[in-house]
Amino acid sequence: MNKNWRWLPAGIVPVVIVAAAVSGSAVADAQPQLPAKTAQELLEFVATSSDDAYSGTVEQSSDLGLPDIGMATPPGGTSSSDPTSMALELLTGDHTAQVYVDGPDKARVQVLDQLAQRDVVVNDTDAWYYDSQSNEATHAVLPDKDAAKAELEAKLQQKAAEYPELQNVPRTPAELTQTFLARIDPSTEVAVDGTSRVAGRSAYQLLLTPEDPATLIGSIAVSVDAETGVPLSVTVQAKGQDDPAFTAGFSAVDFSTPDAGIFDFTPPAGATVTEAPTADEARATLEAEGTPAEAPEKPTVIGEDWSTIVELPATSAGQLGLNLGDGEAAGMGEIMEIKPGMDPEEVAGAQALLQQALTEVDGGKALQTSLVSVLVTDDGRILAGAVGVDVLVAAAQQ
Amino acid sequence: MSGGTLAIETLGLTKVFGKQKAVNGVDLAVPRGSVFGFLGPNGSGKTTTIRMLLGLAAASSGEIRLLDGAMPKDARSVLPRVGALVEGPAIYPFLSGRANLQRFDAADRHTSPATRNARVDAALERVGLSHAAKKRAHAYSLGMKQRLGIANALLAPRDLLILDEPTNGLDPQGTREVRSLIRSLSDDGTTIFVSSHLLAEVEQMCDRIAVMSAGQLVAQGTLDELRSAGTARVRVATPDFADAHRVLSGLGLTPEPHGRDDVITAELSVPGLLPETVNAALVRADVRVRGFEASGASLEDRFVALTGEGFDVAG
Amino acid sequence: MLSEVTVLFRRLCTWAMIGALALIPILIAVVVRVSSDGSASGRGPAFLNSITENGLFVSLTALTVAIPLFLPLTIGVVAGDTIAGEANLGTLRYLLVAPAGRIRLLLVKYAGAALFCFVATLTVVITGAIIGALLFPVGPVTLLSGDTVGVGGYFGRLLLLALYVTVSLMGLSAIGLFISTLTTIPVGAMAATAALAAVAQILGALPQLEWLHPWLFTNYWLGFADFLRQPIVWSSFIDNAVLQAGYIAVFGTLAYGRFSTKDILS
Ligand SMILES: Nc1ncnc2c1ncn2[C@@H]1O[C@H](COP(=O)(O)OP(=O)(O)OP(=O)(O)O)[C@@H](O)[C@H]1O
Ligand SMILES: [Mg+2]
Repeated sequence: MNKNWRWLPAGIVPVVIVAAAVSGSAVADAQPQLPAKTAQELLEFVATSSDDAYSGTVEQSSDLGLPDIGMATPPGGTSSSDPTSMALELLTGDHTAQVYVDGPDKARVQVLDQLAQRDVVVNDTDAWYYDSQSNEATHAVLPDKDAAKAELEAKLQQKAAEYPELQNVPRTPAELTQTFLARIDPSTEVAVDGTSRVAGRSAYQLLLTPEDPATLIGSIAVSVDAETGVPLSVTVQAKGQDDPAFTAGFSAVDFSTPDAGIFDFTPPAGATVTEAPTADEARATLEAEGTPAEAPEKPTVIGEDWSTIVELPATSAGQLGLNLGDGEAAGMGEIMEIKPGMDPEEVAGAQALLQQALTEVDGGKALQTSLVSVLVTDDGRILAGAVGVDVLVAAAQQ
Repeated sequence: MSGGTLAIETLGLTKVFGKQKAVNGVDLAVPRGSVFGFLGPNGSGKTTTIRMLLGLAAASSGEIRLLDGAMPKDARSVLPRVGALVEGPAIYPFLSGRANLQRFDAADRHTSPATRNARVDAALERVGLSHAAKKRAHAYSLGMKQRLGIANALLAPRDLLILDEPTNGLDPQGTREVRSLIRSLSDDGTTIFVSSHLLAEVEQMCDRIAVMSAGQLVAQGTLDELRSAGTARVRVATPDFADAHRVLSGLGLTPEPHGRDDVITAELSVPGLLPETVNAALVRADVRVRGFEASGASLEDRFVALTGEGFDVAG
Repeated sequence: MLSEVTVLFRRLCTWAMIGALALIPILIAVVVRVSSDGSASGRGPAFLNSITENGLFVSLTALTVAIPLFLPLTIGVVAGDTIAGEANLGTLRYLLVAPAGRIRLLLVKYAGAALFCFVATLTVVITGAIIGALLFPVGPVTLLSGDTVGVGGYFGRLLLLALYVTVSLMGLSAIGLFISTLTTIPVGAMAATAALAAVAQILGALPQLEWLHPWLFTNYWLGFADFLRQPIVWSSFIDNAVLQAGYIAVFGTLAYGRFSTKDILS
């Protein structure tokens, strides 16, 4: 009596599932046929897309060769609003975000954390940041529509120490693309590199290859939606690394105008609301404190284009909670500022990782990732850029 | 399709557990309407055969036809017409006796839910459990559980009942009830296939029997056929033990002492020797006979002969 | 099916497990109530700090606590018991000669386990809401996105949550069903099922096994929070449903292969 055929379905089903999984990704890999476009046409096409309205899910992942900070934090339960560990977490972790965009003035990015969420809402001149875990909301008034972006960029840099949350938001692929396109210089090779499918849509592949030998960036690939010109994904390849160092792209996208209600944000009852001062107010405050002389306000920019280095002034390290003392071996308490209410275990874990990641270099301590290097000098300056640590050290000594 | 005359038919039925052949080439033929006794020592393969008949276990080789359907292929159409008790009853201890039966009845999708309660009550009534129907089954005694198991086999009108040791654990009244139950069911035309250790019981209930030994079928036929294959014996009660022994020996018999010095038995192993001749010889020799009994071959003897020693029979 | 349900829910064991699940929110609520003077330190399970402001959050805290351990444990008990329990009692043979049909029995048993998942989840959620309402103020609920829904909308979402968690547990139930066909010792099947849930969660916590994570049936267990966003994010529900369906297909056919060829010797 042969009843073995009854085991047949159990044999077939896994095969079918694997086949479906494989063919699913094969379909995604298939290259669509699209009318040819030159690199210049594609760049212009991207520029026209800033008025578009769309929504979708963005997946971001990075492989920077850093120790995974995720290990130090319990799943589903980090409550650290500590800027350093949060920045690190956003840098190294994988994230999923819901993105809603309606033209240049309305956007909402929701970082979907496990059992938590971080929201950034920009609605004309209002910008909100909300963290469900700490139930804290930050409100900023953007001075002027056109200048808003540039102003916000500058302000983010400027206020990184004070409100690092504002910087910790993953950008939409469109914003990222803007940042990268702004850096294109004559030495950058811009090419159209075939087509691809992203989030079920046909897209052109735009490939930027910096020639600059100093930068760590190997190449940047941008998938541009063939219909709308909206950048759908960005992949940054580091020099000498096979896997992409950073990818952010839509896993699903919908080009219909999102419900206007999405951009209305009212902080929930019981939330702590902080008003971020406008740029003018901030300047005024600092001047009133009478400290203009000793605080060179603006971060210094050294070099240009791909090997741009940003230097934050001497007070920054302390404000960021990175206090290295006078070149001595930094103790735990010195590496990171411990704030009341922080989980001691978490702090210890993050500090250990930070210490592990930092290496001693000439004149300070450095963090080297495959894409970005950060140097904290013994006198408290911070230098960062997409270049090797040696370039930073050289810049710091000038 | 060997006619409609056989309720159970097996051909070369074999079940192998590892290296052991628990059932080995069994050819059963159970006529419709018969009360069929299935006998065999412990571990001879009776329950294993029944499991295969009911499709619970797959046969290693061989064929089974049950009520003219092939098993286990036609189980869906055959089993609703078969009531079974296999290796004792099994119950949900946390349910009442009635709820247990309702559960098993509901498991058969052919039964009508509308008549379920009535049929369950009738089955309980039949095995004398009506009064304990609401009691949780874990509080049932061994015999009560056994009755519940029989009731389960009787939930619907059946063409065939397969009962594995149905009187196990029953009190004398219960045993008698079961016996008369089987007889009345048989009168209604139900074929009954019953395995048992109790030879006396089988002798009283069954018209046909089969004997298993170490997985093999060693005999099959009507009671009389089996009995006649054996030899009659005489039993003499006498105070003159030594004289009686001498007379019987003189007739060519082999008397067996019975552990008592006033009873002597002997098999009528000499062809043509009749019991009355034996009695006359005893009287002639002035042996005082207190009692004389001549019996046909007992089933028990037949079994010992068929299955070897060590057949551990109760009663 | 009805008969299966009545048997399942007439067992003391089933009610003991449901009672234990109901105890989770009650315990959380009472402990928070008793010690509510202290300022929340930001530690502990998600939503814990919101309880004092809104009692309805007890449901969510309890669900978060119950999902990794208690729910899989009880589902392990129910799913592991499905076939092995009947085999152990010996009732399996009577169900099969009734005849229940082996495939039908598997399906009914699986449906019973699924129903238990739903009832168990609902118990946690509803007990949480009730005890929360008794001990703390209630009001409109703040979602993860900072938006606010009224009590009615919140209950709609709770129902969705229960559905999500039930779907999440379907894969584990299928695994339990399969393991249950392998043995006649229900405790073994229960322990093995619950242990698998633990193993999957441990594997899911190891970043070195990142490639494996999307294939683990525990992968989306905490994704129920997507129903607490505004607008609701359905992607994890769909991914989860597809994943669980895969597990059901694999272990369902395995259970079928095993059970339909198995000799019932108990
Ligand atoms: N599950 C099993 N695995 C291995 N061997 C088994 C199994 N079940 C039964 N056997 C063997 O098969 C043989 C027949 O067993 P079975 O239960 O059929 O005997 P039986 O005639 O019903 O005995 P009893 O009169 O004690 O009920 C025995 O030798 C037993 O050891
Ligand atoms: Mg037996």
